[in-house]
Amino acid sequence: MFKRLFDWLKQPLGLIAVGIVLLAAVSFAAYGVWLTQQAPEQPVQFPHNLHVGFGIQCLYCHPGAAKGPAAGIPSQEKCWACHNQIAKTETSLLLAPLKQAVLIGKPLQWVPVAQVPDFVQFNHRAHIAAGQNCENCHGDMSKQTVAENPQVFNMGFCLNCHKQVAGEDQAKLVKLTDCGTCHY
Amino acid sequence: MIKVEEIKMSAEETGKWGMLIDQDLCTGCQACVAACAMENNISFVGEEDAGYGRTMHWIRIERFWEGEYPEVKMTPNQPMMCQQCGAAPCEPVCPAFATVHSQAEQLNLQVYNRCVGTRYCANNCPYQVRSFNWRDYERPEPLPNQLNPDVTVRRRGVMEKCTFCIQRIHKAQDKAKSEGREVADGEFTTACAQACPANAITFGRVDDPESLVSQLAKKHGHGVKHHEELGTLPSVTYLKGG
Repeated sequence: MFKRLFDWLKQPLGLIAVGIVLLAAVSFAAYGVWLTQQAPEQPVQFPHNLHVGFGIQCLYCHPGAAKGPAAGIPSQEKCWACHNQIAKTETSLLLAPLKQAVLIGKPLQWVPVAQVPDFVQFNHRAHIAAGQNCENCHGDMSKQTVAENPQVFNMGFCLNCHKQVAGEDQAKLVKLTDCGTCHY
Repeated sequence: MIKVEEIKMSAEETGKWGMLIDQDLCTGCQACVAACAMENNISFVGEEDAGYGRTMHWIRIERFWEGEYPEVKMTPNQPMMCQQCGAAPCEPVCPAFATVHSQAEQLNLQVYNRCVGTRYCANNCPYQVRSFNWRDYERPEPLPNQLNPDVTVRRRGVMEKCTFCIQRIHKAQDKAKSEGREVADGEFTTACAQACPANAITFGRVDDPESLVSQLAKKHGHGVKHHEELGTLPSVTYLKGG
């Protein structure tokens, strides 16, 4: 029975069938990989490029980055403080979820994009204090609309930079490549 | 490729962080055990696993009997936690390099994401202070709300142990650095030392002769380090009969 199947597959029509099946499998796999790289659905399609384009500093909305471990997401009151003074955005349909959320006092559920696993203890403050710019890890936000993760935050990505920054300084290298600096 | 120079500790050297436990002051109230469990997200294993001897504690109060029944005498309470050995028996036996020595902080680390759960380290620890996550222990609502965000929540199959509250060390160092100064002695302490109502536990820099730990050890004069004969160079000193 198997022999008859192989014989059928060996003829031109069979080869085409095999090709179609392979192509379908590869494209399905590629689609799966592509899906994992998509930015998650956000409650408001927040345009980072527009805000950065207006010259608003990253730290104006994410001040936590300079002070502590988490950069934080601005409270909706902070968003609304600017937006309710702008006639165009006050009535905008795109911002209706924000207005609604402020009026009923229910927080918007933003979906975090740049994340590290639970076993990594990341501190924004140390990185900002060491002179790193936001875009070194988060990419150029002036070219992004809804936040997406430009690179996978894996250990190689972190360690490469740590080694570069430490350079020939032994004490710094010991501290920056110590397991206990990030994992505890 | 830059190599990190390996710093081997010799018997004359002290580590960086150290602890002093005054057994004459310890009342065995277990406040340190509770505080440690809260600070470090330690799971509660429940009745059944406790019956198998799988309880999870990073610190425990040991108590022994001396003499023959009925002439028994109780020894002082002895809090026992990871001694953060300078030459730790747990480290060389790990096949995954999950338990490594921190060159920067001179502590024994347990890297949870590297651990594959061979339990070799726990079997080689002369102090029996490592505990293993035999299961994913359940935390019913609202208990997850009290988890410490600075500490990894361990999953099934990894080993864990006392870290000398390394998250607090890092927090203090980060704060000091942001203010442009060194970490001051007594600025922070471990959860167990903080909770101890009798002040039996003192934590600090042992390489600094001016710190409280060094001063107390010097004042007492004959502190004991457990299993020193094994050459483990522990960082915890016990004071008794002062």
